[in-house]
Amino acid sequence: MNNYIEKNILPLVTKPITYLGNEVNAVHKTPDADMIRFAFAFPDTYEVGMSHLGMKILYGILNEQKDIWCERVFAPWVDMEEQLRIHNLPLYALESMTPLKDYDFVGFTLQYEMSFSNILNMLELGHITLLAKDRQEEEPFVMAGGPCAYNPEPLADFIDIFVIGEAEEVILEIMDAYRGFKKTDGNRTDFLKIAAKIEGVYVPSFYETTYDDATGIIIDFKPTVSEAPEKIKKQFITDLDAAYYPDKIVMSYTETVHDRISFEIFRGCGRGCRFCQAGMIYRPTRERSIPTIQEKIKALIEATGYDEISLSSLSSGDYSKIEALINTLVKEYDGEQVGLSLPSLRIDSLSIDMLEQIQKVRKTGLTLAPEAGSQRMRDVINKGVTEENLLDTVRTAFEKGWGHVKLYFMIGLPGETLEDVSGIAALGQKTVDEYYKIDREIRNKNLKVVLSAASFVPKAFTPFQWMGQNTQQEFKDKQNHLKSKIKDRKISFSYHDSSVSYLEAVFARGDRRLGAVLLKAHEKGCRFDGWGEYFDFEKWMEAFTEADIDPDFYALRTRDYDEILPWEFIDTGVRKDYLIAEHKKSLEALTTPFCREHCSNCGIMEFKEGWKCNDQNTVSV
Amino acid sequence: MIKIQYQFNRTRELRLLSHLDQQRLFQRAFRRGDMPVEYSLGFNPHPKMSFALAMSVGLTSDCEYGDVVLSEEMDCDEFVKRMNRVLPNGLLILSARICEEGKTSLSASITKSEYQLIVKLAKPLSIEDLSTALNTYLDMPKILIQKRNKKGKLVEKDIRPFIDSLRINLEKATDKYATILMSLCYIEQQCVKPELILASINEEIEDLFIIDPTIQIHRKQLILEEDS
Repeated sequence: MNNYIEKNILPLVTKPITYLGNEVNAVHKTPDADMIRFAFAFPDTYEVGMSHLGMKILYGILNEQKDIWCERVFAPWVDMEEQLRIHNLPLYALESMTPLKDYDFVGFTLQYEMSFSNILNMLELGHITLLAKDRQEEEPFVMAGGPCAYNPEPLADFIDIFVIGEAEEVILEIMDAYRGFKKTDGNRTDFLKIAAKIEGVYVPSFYETTYDDATGIIIDFKPTVSEAPEKIKKQFITDLDAAYYPDKIVMSYTETVHDRISFEIFRGCGRGCRFCQAGMIYRPTRERSIPTIQEKIKALIEATGYDEISLSSLSSGDYSKIEALINTLVKEYDGEQVGLSLPSLRIDSLSIDMLEQIQKVRKTGLTLAPEAGSQRMRDVINKGVTEENLLDTVRTAFEKGWGHVKLYFMIGLPGETLEDVSGIAALGQKTVDEYYKIDREIRNKNLKVVLSAASFVPKAFTPFQWMGQNTQQEFKDKQNHLKSKIKDRKISFSYHDSSVSYLEAVFARGDRRLGAVLLKAHEKGCRFDGWGEYFDFEKWMEAFTEADIDPDFYALRTRDYDEILPWEFIDTGVRKDYLIAEHKKSLEALTTPFCREHCSNCGIMEFKEGWKCNDQNTVSV
Repeated sequence: MIKIQYQFNRTRELRLLSHLDQQRLFQRAFRRGDMPVEYSLGFNPHPKMSFALAMSVGLTSDCEYGDVVLSEEMDCDEFVKRMNRVLPNGLLILSARICEEGKTSLSASITKSEYQLIVKLAKPLSIEDLSTALNTYLDMPKILIQKRNKKGKLVEKDIRPFIDSLRINLEKATDKYATILMSLCYIEQQCVKPELILASINEEIEDLFIIDPTIQIHRKQLILEEDS
């Protein structure tokens, strides 16, 4: 197959080199009968997937095991898909070019809801039966994990095994269980029962949902076999500093979305922004120490030849010793043509000083995320940033020569009025005003302020998980209102059609009845829904109609606190009563402090034996 | 500061790289190989490196040339050894030498390039017939093709002066594929793409070849001024 594809198919498609699996640091093994074959699947393009840190970590962890070979597979771009279908060739994982159907496991990472249709398409292209219940004995176990697995229900029909939470440890437990299972003559169900007993594993086929006939609301959700627990506990790594981090990563030949070393300096976030799912599900906050970071980055540069490092986390400035870390790295790579970048910075002028220190050369655009236009709204979402913070920050940035500022906002936040929306335009104007206060000699010659407004999608396990999303008409009205309030020609406004956000809201808080919709949408050819040129809202709406499912029920309906939510069988460690308390505070625009300064008892402290936030979240150096 | 000129080949494994991908690959390989590469000055420093010819996607080659400026002295054998340790399968440095200053640039000194093309035949064809077709083609005093100039306007260009020779590789002939050997001339640092010649034969004589990206093109040799 290998030779045929290389000779006859790849020359006909764009970026052919991304379908060969022969990159520097790609892992090649000689398989034998005992080897466990794992295909790590990213349901989007190669360029997007190769930028994903989770894949790099799990690829490394699995391949450290002598008897496991983990390979990669991405959603083939439409031209490659067409060629595979014309030649009736199966989708294969890259390293060995083995058809997907021949692996022991195919594991998908769920980074965004709009990639779900690609999962079905990849399974079909890989010649794997779509519905888990119909899968034959010799077919792979289809796994899934990642942030969207915190509401796994819309994919329940297609996935055999979900991993809830951080997979670094539990993936090896599952592999170990599989080693033992292979020696027996058990069948698929036997293995699924073994897997279901592992903490953090959710096997959807062992659970049953009952709905109220009249309202369609869930009235019962329970396991059907004794091996399946009632509650699934999310997994997290206690000692991040000692946890595995790859010392080499696969080098894409083509340019990827984040074409640099992305080094995770800490995990979790204690800011408690109420709209942010990552901030809730990735708790507690855990850091890597400076010596560990230093050592691993050095190894990575040597193994890859990359000349840029990005220090990644949910909010880089919140690393407890951020200044010491930056000083250390700047000193170490001084004069070596290695660039440092610091994404996800909070809005404060300290951040600008840090940026100035690391970005000695070009001052490209500065991106800040006030998230909401009015102070009241920012308090509602607990963003913890004031207008003064923002204006101080942009003033400092303008003083240091930045001229291009992009401000990120959301519209459709809970309790939002048109006045709050106007606040976005006002903030844009005040930013422009700050620029003109700076001396002509000092400031950048070109000013550009971009206001970007995303349509808010309420997510599971956040204090806004009960809230009905704004209707598409409401979003449209707000976008138009905002547009009309922008007067200055230096300000531009960017926004998207809210239909994608609407579908995201459906799947982010949907239940397993949506499996029928996904199947219909897949049959209609939906895929690459995250790519504007392939997203077809009409097809999706037809799929809902044909499956007789009302999407508004999931996206727009405001739910009661005591309704059984589709994802409530998962225990993230952040308690429901905390989320309710946070929601109630948001109604009065009351804020909650940064958890490092004041613990608000979210529940994560009592979640895992031996874990204590304030002892361990700051690693001593 | 020294400038090293190296010769390398590209085989099947990496023939599908784009030129930009390959540049990036070398840049990273220099770093993995711990080469003291000189960078340009200015706001956006770039490593001082270049290639004599661009390589199109799909091309394999026995004779590519690149150069790189290093800030420290380096033994050429050491350079070859260290680079080959960090380059992936599919790219191999064959030799290296120190470049004296003030010499004509590599790309300016190329006089000829030799190719081997394996191309699908549009219909079964005897060697004799193919040979006759090529000779008829070569006998044309002028071969005009339509070409877009830099402004996007269609202009006519005579490509006959660029063709040094066209031959069939008899050993590799089958009734489905033809293997053609081509020697092309550089005139004022310009040449024509070898697949364009095949398309032009289709145009001028008859439809002999299937012109699509599956044509396998191999650059066998570059002749430099100093060699001839």
